[in-house]
Amino acid sequence: MMWRVDILSSYIAAFIGMFGVLVVIYSIGFMKGKPRLFWYFLYTFLTIITSIGTVFANNLVLLLIFWGFLGLLLYLLINFGDKNSNAVAKKTFIIVGGSDSLMILGIGIVYLLTGTFQMDKIRLEPSSLSVIAFICLIVAAFAKAGAMPFHTWIPDTAESAPSPVSALLPASLDKLLGIYLLFRISAEMFIMNEPMRQSLLIIGAVTILAAVMMALVQHNFKRLLGYHAVSQVGYMIIGISTGNPIGIAGGLFHMINNAIYKSCLFLIGGAVENKKGTSELDKLGGLSRVMPVTFFCAIIASLSISGVPPFNGFVSKWMIYQGLISQFTVHSSQFTVTKFVIIFCLIAAMFGSALTLASFLKLLHAVFLGQRSYRSTVNRQPSTKIDEVNSLMWLPMVVLALLCIIFGIFTNQLPLKYFILPSVKDAAFIGIWNSHLATLLIIAGILLGFVILLLGNLSKSLRLDNSYVGTEIIPSENRPSGAEFYNTIKEFGILKGIYNKAEEGFFDIYEQGKRFVFFISGILGHLHNGVLPTYLVWCLLGMMGVLYSLLLK
Amino acid sequence: MTVLSFYVVIPLGGAFLISLLGKRIKSSGDILANLSTFSLLVFSLYSIKLVFINKVLVYNVGGWVAPIGICMVLDGLSSFMLVTVNLVSFLVTLYSISYMERYTDKAKFYTLFMLMLAGMNGIIITGDLFNLFVFLEIASIASYALVAFGTEAEELEASFKYAVIGSVASSLILLGIAILYSYTSTLNMADISSVLSGKPQSILVNFVLVIFLTGFAIKAALVPFHAWLPDAHPSAPAPISAMLSGVLIKVLGVYAICRIFFNIIAASHKAFFILVVLGLISMIVGAFLAIAQNDIKRMFAYSSISQIGYIIFALGIGTPLAIFGGLFHLFNHAVFKSTLFLTSGAIEYSVNTRDLRKLGGLSSRLPITGYTGLLGSMSISGIPPLGGFWSKLVIIFAALQAGHFIFATIAVLVSVITLAYYLKFQSYAFFGKLDEALIKIKEVPLTMRLSMITLGLICAISGLLCVPAFKPFLQSAVSVLLSGNAYKDAVFNALIR
Repeated sequence: MMWRVDILSSYIAAFIGMFGVLVVIYSIGFMKGKPRLFWYFLYTFLTIITSIGTVFANNLVLLLIFWGFLGLLLYLLINFGDKNSNAVAKKTFIIVGGSDSLMILGIGIVYLLTGTFQMDKIRLEPSSLSVIAFICLIVAAFAKAGAMPFHTWIPDTAESAPSPVSALLPASLDKLLGIYLLFRISAEMFIMNEPMRQSLLIIGAVTILAAVMMALVQHNFKRLLGYHAVSQVGYMIIGISTGNPIGIAGGLFHMINNAIYKSCLFLIGGAVENKKGTSELDKLGGLSRVMPVTFFCAIIASLSISGVPPFNGFVSKWMIYQGLISQFTVHSSQFTVTKFVIIFCLIAAMFGSALTLASFLKLLHAVFLGQRSYRSTVNRQPSTKIDEVNSLMWLPMVVLALLCIIFGIFTNQLPLKYFILPSVKDAAFIGIWNSHLATLLIIAGILLGFVILLLGNLSKSLRLDNSYVGTEIIPSENRPSGAEFYNTIKEFGILKGIYNKAEEGFFDIYEQGKRFVFFISGILGHLHNGVLPTYLVWCLLGMMGVLYSLLLK
Repeated sequence: MTVLSFYVVIPLGGAFLISLLGKRIKSSGDILANLSTFSLLVFSLYSIKLVFINKVLVYNVGGWVAPIGICMVLDGLSSFMLVTVNLVSFLVTLYSISYMERYTDKAKFYTLFMLMLAGMNGIIITGDLFNLFVFLEIASIASYALVAFGTEAEELEASFKYAVIGSVASSLILLGIAILYSYTSTLNMADISSVLSGKPQSILVNFVLVIFLTGFAIKAALVPFHAWLPDAHPSAPAPISAMLSGVLIKVLGVYAICRIFFNIIAASHKAFFILVVLGLISMIVGAFLAIAQNDIKRMFAYSSISQIGYIIFALGIGTPLAIFGGLFHLFNHAVFKSTLFLTSGAIEYSVNTRDLRKLGGLSSRLPITGYTGLLGSMSISGIPPLGGFWSKLVIIFAALQAGHFIFATIAVLVSVITLAYYLKFQSYAFFGKLDEALIKIKEVPLTMRLSMITLGLICAISGLLCVPAFKPFLQSAVSVLLSGNAYKDAVFNALIR
């Protein structure tokens, strides 16, 4: 059997198709007037088809082919971006393609141990070889999904690639595929032991925290989203590696939810960039009045990603917490490493949510609220009016934003009932979450506030005015853009050192690998001095080596 | 079977005619060279059918029966190599029609080219060890001259180094043949094999192995015997670089090592292990050096060292799957490396530089070159579903199957570096911003495009060689190597027939 069509792969394929269609619609508006459009759409269609092939593949080699081909398509698509995109595409493909090579190794070992490439027939007990295979395959899944330490291509890609490409690949398809593979590996093909589980949990927790800390201090809209795209992967990894049904279900549900709101956010980023010609937070501001639809979508997606009820992000995070807690109760009353890890993960996950909310408050303020900025319009005519993007572009955003609401409020009726719970057996909720009641209460709260606003005649006493310093109106160049909201944490003791290192690329596996490779090639290059007698001596030494090992040893 | 002699006679005759007529009749060189290489390609493809029916064919040169006379032997491996060599050489001569306009005296170029081709086909088809040496010298000396063809200082220096180190290798090989002759009193390969299998394994035979290994490793450019290659291959005109990297080092080095180690002297496990280690060192060192280069052709030259490392590594492992992978990779490498060298030639033709730092954004002006370069680069980096992916996959699986886990891991990591430097090539040359000065460049002439497109397409589909319909072609070559000592029986049986 080369293909496997079960509920999980079908619904992931359906979502891939949906994201594909939405992004293609968006691209028609976004890419208007760009060169080589034929190739752009060809690569996009190929990406969608190949991704669908990936989730239906049941044969590991077939999976590998689709998987590796996606890397090439990603490379080609990123190259349509801005002037940096060339270098970024290279970096991305080296990380993603390099992890694909490890996947070959992993698949080879799996075949050696089991004698089959059929994914549904593989069930490996932990042994030294199978752990190596597990690591190889996990690296491939992590590199695609963007978990640490293979995440560094995502912020770069988010910044440099065209927004629809970021929305399609790093934000949605790569997440779906990476987490899908992680699920297949860790929940089906391999039986994980405690240390494996714990390392995955820790990677997940570190990914959440470190990436969200980086997101806090970003100055670029799309780069900030890129770090969140990394951070959210941590939740999915934690959910899936808890190993109990509710956690896994939460991880898979979060995968879908994340893809929805994250691609929505990237499309918003694209819309803003399309209108303002920049995605630097310092140069944006006050767009809520001119781009109401975009603003509305941005609020919903931001609240979803921050895990605010009743939106979808909350539900899946809640399920992941439940998974962690029930894992906590499974283990006996003694204080074990496992418990410590779980507590760490819980703390990381909650902190992560809070910091995510914080960074999205900054984003919303800097882009949509605050004072209007005219700085970026220097190269345009000052009179150019900025208005809402065209319908081809806002339609996909609105669809995704509505999905965020629907999946949040009608959780039990729609996504959980049809997609998630059938693919994970025995997932049972602990604790109570009634989404309808909660929604009603929240709406009631908002209404109450509105009533108070009306009754108290507060709206009349509101005054809209310019900002002043002393008696002078602050010129728009000096207005607080909001991008520096959290710069204080950058100056904070140990964090300062870490941030500096991070900006130098110290934690970037690509930069470090590059340094190592060029160090070695420097030495080797130095040896090749172009002098003929040296080269002849090498031949002689080589011959002596062969002579020694064949005759004398 | 007279057809066996055609593989040598056609290029030799071609060389003779071109040197005679080339100067007098305009474009007769182009026509004659392309006609000969095309007919060679047809005959090579025909050889597949011959091998399929007869397994082994022997032709006695001049009617003298082997082992007294010289014989030519066509078996699965020879047929496989003939197809590889003549496929590349036909497309290269097609490419040369326009490309070699840059140089004066095309007739001399074609003459040398045909001599080199005659040497290579001779090595593949011959059944006589001394005859192999003679053809090896014909091919080598022609290639020394071709490297120096531009006659600039850099090219002459490279050619000089190549000639000196190459001659050392040739003398070692000759010495090895002499010792073997004194020991077995025969030069026929099958006969040597049968004499040796009658005698106990002696230290002398192992010594001969050492000498052969060194000699052929220099020809194949395995590290640490590689140092001539990074100078020689970039200095030659692009079509010749494609021939040198694409097929010459494989015929002179890899094919000869295979024949001797597997079929003539059934080498010990230790000797094969040395091949594995040499292959590993080559793939690592070649890759590390390639990534630091800024000259396109120099990068490709180091990459050849690295890829030959993969082939030798796989052949050294020696299991059926590994040999399959090694030969498969040999074919793929011949195709994608010549694609890449021809691409670099096209870049040089249009832009007049090979320095990566001076290029950028070329794919907008040279779309066909861009896409063939992409196909070649992705194939050699092992990106599915292109050809190189399959052979790399088979090699890694074979290494794992043979229990070489660490070696397999190294092979995987080297393939990451391979991907990195081919992306460097792609990013610097084809993507990014086009330089103002390059805005007026034009796509290369038709024949060059045609040749590159054909090679690019073969890159894309060569993975088909491992599907059942086309597998026998490779499998018959693999089974020759696997049969080991039985090679002599096969040849003797064919002689009697």
